[in-house]
Amino acid sequence: MGRWWAVALSEAVHGDKALAVTCEGEQLAVFRDGKGAVFALEDRCPHRRVPLSPGPVKPGGLQCPYHGWTFDGATGLCNDIPNLRRDERVPARYAARAFPAAEANGFIHVWRGAGTPAAVLPGAWYRAAGREQTGSAVANIAFDQYLDVMLDGPECLLSFPGVHITDFFLGDPRRDGEHLVLDRGAVWKGKGNGPAFVRDHSLWVRTRVPVRGGDIRVELLSAEEDPLVTIFIAASENRRGTTSLVWRGFLHAMAAPLPWRWRTARAIGRAPFAIFPHIDGAAVAALEVAPSRDRRLAKTDTRMPAERVVPVQERCAV
Amino acid sequence: MSEVPMMDAAGREAEATSKRDWVPVNLDLRDTWFPVAYSADIGERAVRRIVHAQDVYLWRDGGRLYAAEFRPDRLEAMRAGASAFTNGSGFYPAVERYGYIWAWYGNPDNVHEELIPNIPFLPPDGQGIPRYTQRAVRFDAASPLSVENLIDLTHADFLHANAIGDGQSENDVVEVHSTSETVTRIRNVTRKSVAPVMRWIGGVRAQYQDLRAVLHVHLRNNVCISYPNFTPGYPIPNVQPFVPVGKHRSRVDQTNYTVHAPAPFRWLMPRISYVIQPQDNSVLRPQNARYFESTERRDLSSRFDGPGNRYRLLMMRLAERQQRGDFGYGADADPSADISAVLGMRG
Repeated sequence: MGRWWAVALSEAVHGDKALAVTCEGEQLAVFRDGKGAVFALEDRCPHRRVPLSPGPVKPGGLQCPYHGWTFDGATGLCNDIPNLRRDERVPARYAARAFPAAEANGFIHVWRGAGTPAAVLPGAWYRAAGREQTGSAVANIAFDQYLDVMLDGPECLLSFPGVHITDFFLGDPRRDGEHLVLDRGAVWKGKGNGPAFVRDHSLWVRTRVPVRGGDIRVELLSAEEDPLVTIFIAASENRRGTTSLVWRGFLHAMAAPLPWRWRTARAIGRAPFAIFPHIDGAAVAALEVAPSRDRRLAKTDTRMPAERVVPVQERCAV
Repeated sequence: MSEVPMMDAAGREAEATSKRDWVPVNLDLRDTWFPVAYSADIGERAVRRIVHAQDVYLWRDGGRLYAAEFRPDRLEAMRAGASAFTNGSGFYPAVERYGYIWAWYGNPDNVHEELIPNIPFLPPDGQGIPRYTQRAVRFDAASPLSVENLIDLTHADFLHANAIGDGQSENDVVEVHSTSETVTRIRNVTRKSVAPVMRWIGGVRAQYQDLRAVLHVHLRNNVCISYPNFTPGYPIPNVQPFVPVGKHRSRVDQTNYTVHAPAPFRWLMPRISYVIQPQDNSVLRPQNARYFESTERRDLSSRFDGPGNRYRLLMMRLAERQQRGDFGYGADADPSADISAVLGMRG
């Protein structure tokens, strides 16, 4: 069964140029037509295999920069081969591979795999309710490892300036549908004697990592579990053991009493979070495999998602 | 000296009776009280604690203590999702004693206050326990592995020598006693080097001292009650409840009851956990990860691992009993019985 992947920021795809992206290791060309509708084709011309993405967007679709063949975005069918005689027709079987594409909440999604595209997009939940920060990168870490590290040590992959993310996570990941949710303690930098001396953490970092797929949600929460910062990171396998990332995040209205330094930095426009494109291999290698074990197990588990309510008798395991 | 590590009887039995390897990370024993927080830490603002990956929110309202599965502001909305641990009510049974809030983990129908462990050196009503005696630390391992680390004596000579001494002594004898619910380790050491911390700030000027250290471990809830008594010197009674946060982490709200020790030792000694804990975590963290690996290579043991092996064996027995559906306490178990004599307390 296929799935939707968020592959690009909406604003990154515009005008008469296509955007080259990589999803599940496959190169795609994403573009819009004159009406703004989004399309995705395999970034490979079926004629002589050159990338389509450098070509211009024409009224009939995306034109190959090599010989000018043009492909319809929705069907992938080739609808124009320059210099054909008037009595010649493009054979019906001439087509680039096309993928269903859809847009929601600032993300362009591509459906990959079998089956009818699902109605709900990974980015459907995301609603920016504050000043936004966006970006994209290719991270120097393999996709599956990226998801695992997001559970085992998210501080290797991102930061919240002024916040120390601890490695003390609460319990085990909680299964929520197709995601694993895990909270870990965090503290304000420069307040108190450091995380080791904290009786109760003043902040939480909640990571919501997919068992399958690439939609990650990270939230910085107050001690009362009210959101301060929300980030949606869309990850996908890129080539040569790297990971494609696109993200949007925003700062919530600051109702909770927060350190003045943090408030001031936000007030003058300093970003409330950073996603690392360059990942410290030594830091990742030093992480013990811990909550991510549950993700690996869940990937092989074909049963229905775990229920929140578990009978006591079933909770006693050896 | 033999090159082959010698295994004690408990170790041999543990190996013989268990078809599986020791898997401390999956032990989830129930029908027990966990000291989830210091009483003094809980006010009107809800505090979140975790027991076996399960949320426990604690707060007070109108002077009354609440322990619930959900935050107070979400309780009504989420009550339908309450678990059998609260009989669907959303509220855990909770009691305050010895300066802690104890929450019941298990079937609420089986709750009895008499199952709270006796801690003879702490006032039952918690009154007068100074805050300097209370220090919360976190361990990067499942609770049983952390407890095993505490039971294990020989690691201290290597990992903690700079803080608690080099382990040199004239004589060092260890006894182990157990019931179906507890393990008691008694260590008698004569003419040991005085611990640096006790020499520097504890007023003990002698070069050597004797030590009688009793550690009493409650298996279900990992409550470790310790009474080390130094001569010359004084006892440093302490409680270390290893609350299982999950398969990878545990939390310990320690009470180092140093009120009878001289100043400034009494104030500073409880803080030694901030030195000890990172040292322990440096080994516990990779150790815990390795207990997830399925392996045919069983742990090896020496005779020094007797108490730890006894602990493993009893934990496995208890877990297997619970797996069969037997959650009761045996005739030899009485957590609330006075253990003053067991600890060898003076007076």
